[in-house]
Amino acid sequence: MTIFDPLLDFFRGRAVTVPPLDGAFRPNRALDNARLVAEINAPVDMAFRNGAIVAAAGNALFELLENGAQGVVATFSAPIAAMAISSAGELAVACENGELVLDGAAVKLPPEVTCMTALSFAADGSMLVANGAAGLRPSQWRTDLMKKGASGSVWRLSRKGDATCLAAGLAWPSGILAAGSDVMVSEAWNRRILRVSDGLKPAAVFSNIPGYPGRLAQAESGALLSIFAPVNRLIEFVLQEDDYRAAMMEEIPAEYWIAPSLASGRSFLEPLQCGGIKTMGIHKPWAPSRSYGLIVRLDGDFQPVESFHSRADGHRHGIVAARALGDTIYAASAGGDAIVAIESGQDS
Amino acid sequence: MDTIVRLENISKLYRGVPAVKNVTFELKRGEIHALLGENGAGKSTLTKIIAGVVDATSGKMLHKGKDVFYATPNDALHAGIAMVFQETSLVPSMTVAQNLYLGSEGFLNRLRGVYISAQQFLQSLNFSVDPTALVETLGAAKKQMVEIARAVHHNAEVIIFDEPTATLTPEEKRHFFALVRRLKARGVSIVFISHALEEALLLSDRITILRDGELVASGETKDFDREKIIAAMVGRTLSAELYRQRDDKKIRRPGRKVLSVQDISMGAMVRNNSFSVFEGQITGVFGLIGSGRTETFKIVSGIYKRDFLRGGTVELNDKPVRYVVPRQAVKDGIVYVTEDRKSEGFFETMSIAENIFGGLLAADREQHSIINYAEMREVAAEWTKALNVRAINDNARVVELSGGNQQKVVIGKGLVQNPKIVIFDEPTRGVDVGAIAEIHQIINRLADEGLAVVVISSYLPEIMNLSDRILVCRQGRMVEEFSPAEATEEKIMYAAVH
Repeated sequence: MTIFDPLLDFFRGRAVTVPPLDGAFRPNRALDNARLVAEINAPVDMAFRNGAIVAAAGNALFELLENGAQGVVATFSAPIAAMAISSAGELAVACENGELVLDGAAVKLPPEVTCMTALSFAADGSMLVANGAAGLRPSQWRTDLMKKGASGSVWRLSRKGDATCLAAGLAWPSGILAAGSDVMVSEAWNRRILRVSDGLKPAAVFSNIPGYPGRLAQAESGALLSIFAPVNRLIEFVLQEDDYRAAMMEEIPAEYWIAPSLASGRSFLEPLQCGGIKTMGIHKPWAPSRSYGLIVRLDGDFQPVESFHSRADGHRHGIVAARALGDTIYAASAGGDAIVAIESGQDS
Repeated sequence: MDTIVRLENISKLYRGVPAVKNVTFELKRGEIHALLGENGAGKSTLTKIIAGVVDATSGKMLHKGKDVFYATPNDALHAGIAMVFQETSLVPSMTVAQNLYLGSEGFLNRLRGVYISAQQFLQSLNFSVDPTALVETLGAAKKQMVEIARAVHHNAEVIIFDEPTATLTPEEKRHFFALVRRLKARGVSIVFISHALEEALLLSDRITILRDGELVASGETKDFDREKIIAAMVGRTLSAELYRQRDDKKIRRPGRKVLSVQDISMGAMVRNNSFSVFEGQITGVFGLIGSGRTETFKIVSGIYKRDFLRGGTVELNDKPVRYVVPRQAVKDGIVYVTEDRKSEGFFETMSIAENIFGGLLAADREQHSIINYAEMREVAAEWTKALNVRAINDNARVVELSGGNQQKVVIGKGLVQNPKIVIFDEPTRGVDVGAIAEIHQIINRLADEGLAVVVISSYLPEIMNLSDRILVCRQGRMVEEFSPAEATEEKIMYAAVH
């Protein structure tokens, strides 16, 4: 790189680059080959309680049994945005309207917290909350990306009811997990995992992720990271074009924006990009896509070890949550309308 | 079938050294005869004697039963014997059509008529080559097509192909095989020299094998198999160790990511290509000719420049790099071992020692401002020994070596630079079976020593046997990655073609 490159980039435009899916991100079909646990319409989150899966979709929480049976556990006045279950079995549910309910009782929140995207319990029983953006609802994540928002924050809610802001000015924090005395946060639009330590600036521990990172979950000797949408060159390009983006947001319904998505191919009105069009009647797995299915297993240092994919031609896209139970990884696929189980040793 | 060409006790000596020793060879009318052997076995010399390119030292040649002597290739051509050479003998500054008609043009030629006739002729052969294109603008595969077309055009009744498929894509090969079969149906006799044994087994009626200038086996193709041919060629069994499916346990795990290429573009050849290369691993890159694989790695090694506007990024050890000249890449530890060794790989009139030492100079690793010949010979001796370069001495000119040994010199010239990333582009093209095994060992050794190794190859068994991960390049970008344990030729080809 010449010393003039940064200067030249000012005139020629910075290269739009997308990290390659290789190394630990080598594509496979693990998600498409995963066992179907239950069909559920657009799940938003999931957790385990007493060995059973509890999944959130719409206004309701469902308990899913291994035999495929599902029953409604609870319903809420607004669509559910996030949920968490503590080791003691306490159930926390965040709703689209900014309400947080802990075991049936409303939790008092600071006025800044209106857009809860992820919840987690720390070892001391306090609750960790990722607040996606100021002034938006969790379902308006595309709007925040297209506006290049960076008004998110992460909070700790103590048992006594105190709320502490751990970090602010984040670009859509979408996953949160306690790691000892620190808190790990996935910052979606900057495509990185941050370590938030008391009294220190958040530090990136894993960056340049080839997708928008979502929820984090504890796993044996590390964590599971759900990546809810892929990075796409066209979308990255649109993010550089301010006037175009403003006009698109004003004139076109959000589901048809050139923006990431949890599912694609559901309407002929959706934007297509070169290989997204079928060639010789076949949708190529390597085609650029607005939606993708991806779970990453992270080691103790939050570095990628392996990944599980549903590629462009797959159907289990938009992984909003992944959690491990024993050797099996369970995942909620919003794009695939399913809860699936990746068994260890399954054909990928 | 009657015999069209018969060589009796042919010998050829170069400066007293026999290249062909007492060979008796028979070519029957309308047969496809595969001539096999390691580099330096005497195949090319034998066929050059038939085609009038070189004179035999002793023995005689019978053509249609008559004792003949062709002093020049033109004499042989007029008698109906044509040879398609490994290195094309076309005139680069002339068009394809002009090359086709060279030597058979009329006193007055209507250019348009020549082009139309050339177009029709090329189409009849299923060759997609523009007859108005200048030969110098064509790639290796297309030049080869023109060379083949020229031989066919002269209505030769004996056509000798020397490594005709080395530069062709699988699709082009299929066309070529169909063409050879059509020629056979017309009664044309074909001599076919190839290192690709499957091709010989697939295409030929009879096989003759030479070793060290002597005929060691000859017979009907049905009496041969791969093992038998290789055993006859090299006197040892190599096939199993050369090309086998990789055992999952033997696949090297990736080390640190040393090279990250993100969305590099160069015109229409390389388009948003992204991939990574890891230490201690062989990354195999497969793609058809024109898929942009060579161009991609030439960008990485500073030989080509990526697009100025939105040309992507190349990161070496997490630091962005943009090389203006290859020297910068060499200094950063990137070595590119070219696919075209004759024009890019070495200085053919210089000695082995000078070539290897040239690599050292290119990397600025030479401390002195004046070349120390003793040091040069020492360095060369070290590398010729390490790479088992077989030559009379270090003063031998590279042009005098066999293809395999030339390739080892090119590799040595790169390795002397103490690289961190070694990119091999078609490392065994035009190299005999024995040398292939040695080059594969060198490549494996480099990866075992912790270097990041990239192997670009059009030969699928080579890619599948060598690679720890296989990338498939299509239309200027990597479209698929396979583990060698899961990869099959069908899967790789599907990704490369569709």
